[in-house]
Amino acid sequence: MATLDPTSVKRRSPLNQRHVTSHALFKEFGGNLLVGHYGDIKSIQEEYSQAQMLAICDLSTLPRLGFKGPGAPSWLETQKLKLPTLPNTAKCQHTGSLVAKLSDQEVLILSDIFALSNDVATLSHKAEIDHQNYYKQTYILPRGDSHCWLAVTGTQASEMFSKICGIDLRSHKFAHGDIAQTSVAKTNAVVIRNDLGSTPGFYILSDISGVEFLWDCLLDAMQEYGGCPVGVSALQRLIKSS
Amino acid sequence: MYTRLPAPYGSLINREIGVQFEFENKTVNGFEGDTIASALLANQQWLLSRSFKYHRPRGALTMAGQDANTMVQLPSNPNALADKELIKEGMQVSGQNYTGSLENDRGALLGLFSRFLPVGFYYKAFFKPRGMWEKWASLIRKKAGLGVIDQQLKSPYYDKQYKFYDVVIIGGGPAGMQAAIDAAVDNCEVLLVDENPSLGGSLNYARFDAAGTLGKLLRTELLSALQANSNITVMTNAVCNGWFADNWLPIICGNRLYKVRATQTILCTGALEQPALFHNNDLPGVVMSSAAQRLVHLYGVKPGSAAVILTGNNDGYGTALDLLDAGVAIQAIIDLRANPDYDEVAKAAIARGIKVKTGCAVYSAHSKKEVHVASVEVRNIIGQGICGNDREIINCDLLCMSVGYTPAYQLACQAGGQLSYDDQSAIFTLNNCPETLQLAGSVNSLWHIDAVLAEARRTAAIATNALGFTQVAVGEVIPKGSISPNHPWPIFAHPKGKEFVDYDEDLTIADIVNATGDGYEHIQLVKRYSTCGMGPSQGRHSALAAARIVAAATHRTVADTGVTTARPPFSAEQLGHSAGRSFYPARRSNMHYRHLEAGAEMLQAGAWFRPAYYAQDNITRQDCINAEVTNVRNNVGLVDVSTLGGLEVRGPDAGEFLNRFYTFGFVKQPVGRARYALLTNEAGVVIDDGVACRFGDNHYYVTATTGGVDRVYQNMLKWNAQWRLNVDIANVTSAYCGVNIAGPNARLILEKVCTDIDLSSAAFPYMGVRSGTVTGIPARLIRVGFVGELGYEIHVPQQYGEALWDVLIEAGNEYAIKPFGIEAQRILRLEKGHIIIGQDTDAMSNPNEVQMSWAVSKKKPFFVGGRTLSELEKKPSLRSLVGFVVNDIESPIPQESHLILDGKHMTGRVTSCNYSPTLDKAIGLAYVSPTSAANGSTIVIRSSGGVLVNATVVDLPFYDPNTARQEL
Repeated sequence: MATLDPTSVKRRSPLNQRHVTSHALFKEFGGNLLVGHYGDIKSIQEEYSQAQMLAICDLSTLPRLGFKGPGAPSWLETQKLKLPTLPNTAKCQHTGSLVAKLSDQEVLILSDIFALSNDVATLSHKAEIDHQNYYKQTYILPRGDSHCWLAVTGTQASEMFSKICGIDLRSHKFAHGDIAQTSVAKTNAVVIRNDLGSTPGFYILSDISGVEFLWDCLLDAMQEYGGCPVGVSALQRLIKSS
Repeated sequence: MYTRLPAPYGSLINREIGVQFEFENKTVNGFEGDTIASALLANQQWLLSRSFKYHRPRGALTMAGQDANTMVQLPSNPNALADKELIKEGMQVSGQNYTGSLENDRGALLGLFSRFLPVGFYYKAFFKPRGMWEKWASLIRKKAGLGVIDQQLKSPYYDKQYKFYDVVIIGGGPAGMQAAIDAAVDNCEVLLVDENPSLGGSLNYARFDAAGTLGKLLRTELLSALQANSNITVMTNAVCNGWFADNWLPIICGNRLYKVRATQTILCTGALEQPALFHNNDLPGVVMSSAAQRLVHLYGVKPGSAAVILTGNNDGYGTALDLLDAGVAIQAIIDLRANPDYDEVAKAAIARGIKVKTGCAVYSAHSKKEVHVASVEVRNIIGQGICGNDREIINCDLLCMSVGYTPAYQLACQAGGQLSYDDQSAIFTLNNCPETLQLAGSVNSLWHIDAVLAEARRTAAIATNALGFTQVAVGEVIPKGSISPNHPWPIFAHPKGKEFVDYDEDLTIADIVNATGDGYEHIQLVKRYSTCGMGPSQGRHSALAAARIVAAATHRTVADTGVTTARPPFSAEQLGHSAGRSFYPARRSNMHYRHLEAGAEMLQAGAWFRPAYYAQDNITRQDCINAEVTNVRNNVGLVDVSTLGGLEVRGPDAGEFLNRFYTFGFVKQPVGRARYALLTNEAGVVIDDGVACRFGDNHYYVTATTGGVDRVYQNMLKWNAQWRLNVDIANVTSAYCGVNIAGPNARLILEKVCTDIDLSSAAFPYMGVRSGTVTGIPARLIRVGFVGELGYEIHVPQQYGEALWDVLIEAGNEYAIKPFGIEAQRILRLEKGHIIIGQDTDAMSNPNEVQMSWAVSKKKPFFVGGRTLSELEKKPSLRSLVGFVVNDIESPIPQESHLILDGKHMTGRVTSCNYSPTLDKAIGLAYVSPTSAANGSTIVIRSSGGVLVNATVVDLPFYDPNTARQEL
C-alpha cells in the first residue's frame, strides 16, 4: 500500500515523528492526513482485531471545534445540531459527527472518523459570520489545535485506564455517551465514551502540547494488556462491521 | 540438623521444588514458598540480624512480618523482612548491623555500657560543652541507620492503579472470608484483601479445638464459598497501608500501589500477639506462640526440641498441643494466671500430661552461646509484675509467649476510631468509626470463632443494606466474651534489666520509666523522647507495654494514658510505590523535532522543552550563542516562541476588562495595534507582562509569559467573576504555535511567503498586528521588538507550526537565516534593557522600581494594584533596577543574585548579567539603592569566589537607544 509523505501537508500531528518511527502508512481522509495503519507491523485485519482488544489511535488531524458562551447552545441548535440534554454527555448526529456537551455553556463538536461530515467546517464558517462582534455571546474555541484527539478502543480499555485515571470508566459505570472531564496520566483531559460498533471506545482530548507525553503514558499503561497503536482504518472497520 | 516436618505440615511450601540461596556466604536449602526466615530456621540458623542499639542477637519473633528482628540485607534491598520475603534461587542474603561477623559482632560490646546509655542520653550527652556536637556527629551518623542502600540500583518498575468496589474487606481471616461471602449479594462488588499468601488467617495455623481439625475444615468451607462467588475479587500478598477520607485505601501488592475507593469498608484486620517482658526476652528462640504455630503449620519447620510455653490465656495450651503433635517436647507451661479458667483445648493439653505451673512467670531467659535460648528461670508471682523467690531453672531451646493481643487498630484509628482499654479485663474497644466502616473479628475483640463469624455476617448485612443491595434485619451487636486472652500485666522487671519493651530501639522497662521520670509523662512525649514505637515495627509490639508502664509510673490507667497515634503507612513501603511510574508531564511545540534536527540543546522551562541554543561542531556553547546574537543583529534569525501564553479576550466589554486588569489603557487602543500589557497584583507587584493585540472592536489576543500564563488566566477569571463584564476569556496557549523572525532582513524573507499583508513599514508599523496567511497557513502577525530588531511574531494554529518553520527556513536560506535559542534571546533582550518577569522582578517589585512607570496609566479610574501604586508613589523608593556595565572586560562576569556591596553592607543584587557580543562588554541589570541609581554611579559586585567587580551604572537600553532598528 502506498503511503503519503506526512510533510506533504501543512497541518501535521505532533505525533507524526512517532508514527513514522513505527512504520506508519499515512492516508488522506477528507483532506486530513492520518495513519491508515502501521504497515510493517500488522495488517489492517490484525489491527482490527487489536482494536477490539486494546489499541490507541491518533485522530488529532481530524476536524473538531468548540463553542462556549451563554448563547452557544441555542445558536448551535439553530444550526440543526441535536445537543445532549445533560452536561457531560455526548450525542451522535445523523451526519456522524459527535456533539459533546461539556457544560451548559460549552459544546465540543468532533468529526466522524471517516471525515465524511462537513459539520465542523460549516459551523466554523457560519460562526465567523454570525458572531463577528460577539454580541450574541457565542465564542469559537480552537479545539482542533488546542487539544489532541486520541481514541482508545477495546475490551481492555477501561482496565488500562484504571492505571492512569481516577474515574471509574468500566462499562457499567461509564456508559456510551458519558463524558468525564478529569486527569489522565497527570494531564487534564476530556474523556468521552464513544463505542465504535460493539467495541468499547474512548476519545481523549487533551492539551496538544503534551500529547507525546500522554501517548507514551498510554502506551506504557497498555503494554500490560498487549495494547498498541493502530491506524484509523481499523477503527473505521469497527464501525463498518457492526 | 534439618528440622522439616513431614506433610501435611507446611501448607505454604512446595516440597517438589527446592530452592538454594546464600545467607552470610553459606549455602542454604529451602523449598519454593519458604520465606528467608523459615528456610533458615529449618536449617537451625536462628540468628538473623543484630539489634539497632546494642547489637543484640535477634531471631524470628512473629513470623508474620510484623517485627524488626528479621530485617536482613538483600543486594538491592536493605531491611527486607526475612519472615515475609520469599527465597529465590541464588539469592544473596546477609544479616544487618554488625561489625566483624554476625556471630561475633564487636558492636555488641556496646551492651556492656548500656547503663551509661539511658533513654535520651544523646539529648544530654553530646551537646555540651558548646561545639562538641560537631565532633560526635560524624561518629553517630556512621552508626545511624540500618542496612546499606544500593546507590547504583536502577529503579524497578513501579506503577499505580485505581480500583472501585462496593465493599472492601481488609483481612482474609475467618471474619474477612465470612464477611466477603455475605456481602457479595446481587451485583455487589466485593474486594477481599489479605497480606498473606493464602486466605484463612489464623485458620491456617491456630488451634481452635482439641482435635486440631476445626480450623482447616472451616477454611476449606469458606474458601469454597468464596471461589463460587464471581462478585468477589481476592487480593493476597496485598497490604492495605492506610485509611484515608471517604474510604480511600492504598493497597500495595508487588510493585503496584492500588488506589482503591470503597463505598463500604469492613476491617477484619485481626489482632497482633504481644510479647511478655522479662530479662532477655529478645533471645533468639524466644518467639510468639503464633510464630511457632506458623512455623509448624505453614512451613513445616520444627522450631525446637524442648519448649517452654509462657501463657496468660488458653491459647498457649493450643500451641503446646500443636508442638507436641509436631514432636516437640513440652518442658512446661508457665501460666501467669493463678486460677486459670480452662477451655476444652487447655484441658486436652493438660490431659496429655504436660507440666503446668500456674501463678508463675518466666523471670529471665538464658543462653549458652549468646545466640539462642537454652534455659529459663521461672518464679512465682507475688504481685503485679513482682516475682517471689521460688525459682526453677528449666532447660529448653524454644520459649513461646502467649500473653495476649492488641487489635490491629491502625486503620480503624486512622478512620477516626477511638481505641479504649479496660484495665480490669484488659479488653480493647474501638468506637466512633465512620458509618461506612465496620469492624469484625478479633480487631473488635471477639475471640470465639462462632462470635467472629456471626459478627462478620452482621457487618456484611450493615454494608449491603447501606448500599441498597439488601434490606435484611441486622442482628444485635455480638457481645464481647467475659474472658479475655489478654493478661493484664505480663511485665516483670529484672535487676539486670534487658526486659525489652521495644525490640526495634532496644528500649527496656527502665528506659520507659526513666522517661516519665524526666518529666515526659504524656504517652506521645514518652514516644518521642524515648523513640519507643518509632522504629520499623511502629510500636506494634511496644505500644501496649509502654502504655502500661507509663500508666503505672504515673499512677494512672491505660485508659487514661491511651496509646500512641498509628499513622499511615501501616507497614514499610518502597519510595517507588509512592512515586509510581517515572513519567513527568512535558510540553513540546509543534516544531520540536525541527529544533533537534538543527542541533538544538534543549532545556526545560516549566513543562516546556525549549531550544537553549543550536550546537555546532567544534564550537563552544558560548560561541554558538554569540554567533546567534550576531546573526540576529546583522542578518536575520528565527526563534520558536510557541511557549508564550496566549489568551483570547472577546466580547463587548473586552477593552474595559483589559483596562481594569492591566496597568496600561486599552479602551482606546486602535484595532490593528498591539500594546504592552503590564500586570500587577493588588499589592502593586509586577507579576506578568505581554502584549495585547486588538484584532477587532471586541477581540483582543493577549500574550503572557511562558511560566505565568496559567496564573494570568486564573486571575482573569477570578476578577471577571467579580466584575461580571460581558466578556469571554479563553486560554489558547496550546492552540497556537509562534515564531519570531527578527533582524534587518526579516521583512525580505517574510515578503516571500506572506503575500496577502502589506509588510511595508508604513502599512504595517512597529506594534501593528495583522491577520493573513503565510503560504496559505492562517496566521496572526505582530510587529514587536523584544530583541530590538525589525521583527515579526507569527502565530499560527498549533498543528501548522512545523510547516511554518519549514517555510520560513526555506525562504530564508538565501539570506542565511539561522535559528536562535532562548540563551541568545536573553542576551538580545538584555542589550535592549528589556526585563524578564520573574528573573528581573521578585515578589516585591513594583513598576516604578523596574523603570516601567511609563507602562502605567495615570488617567484611568481603576486597575488591579493601582491604588497601592498611588500610595507607593508617595513614599521614597527603596531600590531601583538599573543597567550596569562591568568596568574591566577581564573581570569575571557577575551572575544572577550576586550581591551589590557598599563596604560591608549589602545594598542590592544582580538580576541579569551577560557578555554582550554586540557591545563587547559585560552588561547587566541590578537592584541598587536609590543613591547609586544615577547614570555614572559606581557599584561594587561581589562575584564568584568573593572577587569584587566594579561596574558603572548606565542608562537603559544598552543598545539602540532610539529604537530605530526595531522600527525599520
